[in-house]
Amino acid sequence: MDARRLKDSFAKLTMHGDEVPLFFYSDLFIRHPELRDLFPVSMKTQRDHLMAALGKIITEVDRADELSGFLQGLGRDHRKFGTVAEHYGSVKDSLIETIAHFSGDAWTPELATEWMDAYSRIADLMVKAAKDDESTHPAFWQGTVLSCERMAFDISVLQVRPEPRLDFTPGQSVAIESPARPKLWRYYSIANAPRADGTLEFHVRLIDGGAVSMALTQLQAVGGLLRLGPPVGVLTLDASARSDILMVGGSTGLAPLKAMTEQLAKSPGARKVQLFFCARTADSLYDLRSLEKLAADHEWLTFVPVVTTEPRFDGEIGSVPDVVARSGTWSGHDVYLAGPTEMVRETSARLISTGTPRGRIHIEDFGWSEP
Amino acid sequence: MTIAWQDEQKRLTPDEVQSASFPLSRLGRRGYDEEHVRAFLREVERELVTLLNEKVSLWNEVERLRRRIIAGMKTSGDDGVLFGREDAHVHAVRILSNAQLTADRYVADAQAYSHRLTEEARSRRDEILAAAQQHADMVLAEAQSRAREAALATLNAPAPAQPMESDRSALKAELAYLRTFGEVYRTHLRAYTEGMLRSIAEWERSEAGAIEQASADAAGSFSLGQP
Repeated sequence: MDARRLKDSFAKLTMHGDEVPLFFYSDLFIRHPELRDLFPVSMKTQRDHLMAALGKIITEVDRADELSGFLQGLGRDHRKFGTVAEHYGSVKDSLIETIAHFSGDAWTPELATEWMDAYSRIADLMVKAAKDDESTHPAFWQGTVLSCERMAFDISVLQVRPEPRLDFTPGQSVAIESPARPKLWRYYSIANAPRADGTLEFHVRLIDGGAVSMALTQLQAVGGLLRLGPPVGVLTLDASARSDILMVGGSTGLAPLKAMTEQLAKSPGARKVQLFFCARTADSLYDLRSLEKLAADHEWLTFVPVVTTEPRFDGEIGSVPDVVARSGTWSGHDVYLAGPTEMVRETSARLISTGTPRGRIHIEDFGWSEP
Repeated sequence: MTIAWQDEQKRLTPDEVQSASFPLSRLGRRGYDEEHVRAFLREVERELVTLLNEKVSLWNEVERLRRRIIAGMKTSGDDGVLFGREDAHVHAVRILSNAQLTADRYVADAQAYSHRLTEEARSRRDEILAAAQQHADMVLAEAQSRAREAALATLNAPAPAQPMESDRSALKAELAYLRTFGEVYRTHLRAYTEGMLRSIAEWERSEAGAIEQASADAAGSFSLGQP
């Protein structure tokens, strides 16, 4: 394999920007119209993802070990979209056609072989990972919405029963697709520890202009069906750890932290937990009752609601990093952060600057598996 | 994705235009209205995308013609030098691509519109809440100050002759305070409740109207959920 050559060829392709993935998908759908149904109406995000994934693959094409983990994940991820092994052949034809089209005079039989070999290795890894996954997971779970309760102005809590039972580790998330927005998947954290009846709780914040959150909270009638992807995510408790825990959740970032707290409540050890639940205003602090009850029932749990911009709030007021920093010393704690990107970044930076080792700060990272 | 637009040299990308941010001017200094700047940047971004797409289309066409000419020269072309059968597929691809871009634009516009609506609703809600809070504070302050005045007026009434009298007048002052406080509060509460009742009546009217409209629509063609 000539990595340099593939990289040069790909660099030339990217000069044509969005035209490249646009050509690729159009070519694919003309040859295989039945594949169009696997994609959403708007293909903009799809095209960006394709080029980003290709870019990553080509950049790391000569680092097989790092790449294989990514490709296996990608292969498993694609099961819920309805991708099957024979689709990879169709994609190969259109991809080669696309690269040939944009390469112009630079397209030679040798370069064609180079690309075809590279694609085959990529596809083999993805197909194999997907196949291995079949024995443990369905491609997706069917979820029945049991209830949808509006807890704050823009936050609803959904109870969903997955079919079959969906096993997960508290703190993990699943991608959700609503029938009202076909082929658009969004990650949501499961907000509870595994329950006897297998039901899952999701905290959904209505995003301005957000296609999926709107469908889940506004149009989703109770009794409706959702599709759930397999559980993913690394924001989970380390069973062997013994240190006390600091949790900071902003808005619906509370969900994974609540799941982990419930897990700890099921098998309480010696670990003390301090949970900060932060929102802009007091009326966005949803679900307070269940958290206060948890804290009242378990003396190892300290629950602190925080409001960032409402001066009359009867409790902690201030920016999240400030409140957390002035509330204690956290250098010996295992830290779990979830919520708005900016809040997570600032809080993490502040904790590191006040002595918490970077390695003990846990933040959700879906890596490249953005659906 | 920025990467998709990168050339050998660093070029300005539509995404960069869209996400450009500028520091706010110091207080009291003149500056452009933020919304106008944003709107203009959106327009620039759209134009840049169109130009880039056009550029690539033209490049494609040049490439196609160049290939045809070379092929034509090789085979001393007798049939259609400028448009051959293999070009038909590329044309079909181009037509589908344009249709897709149109669909993308519709979805993006609808999403931007819905974004704007919810954002406005959200800030309107915040304003209403803030105004209500301010109003409540004002009512409270007014009730307190009026009640204080009433109490003072009672106290400043002709001086009492005996100690008993002073006790009585203190009680009377407190009574006046409470009575005035209660009155002011009651007046505001009545006004507020009447306002709420009016709103409810309005909601009911508009809801009834919406239901009539919906059933009229349903009687026509019902196409909800169709792609």
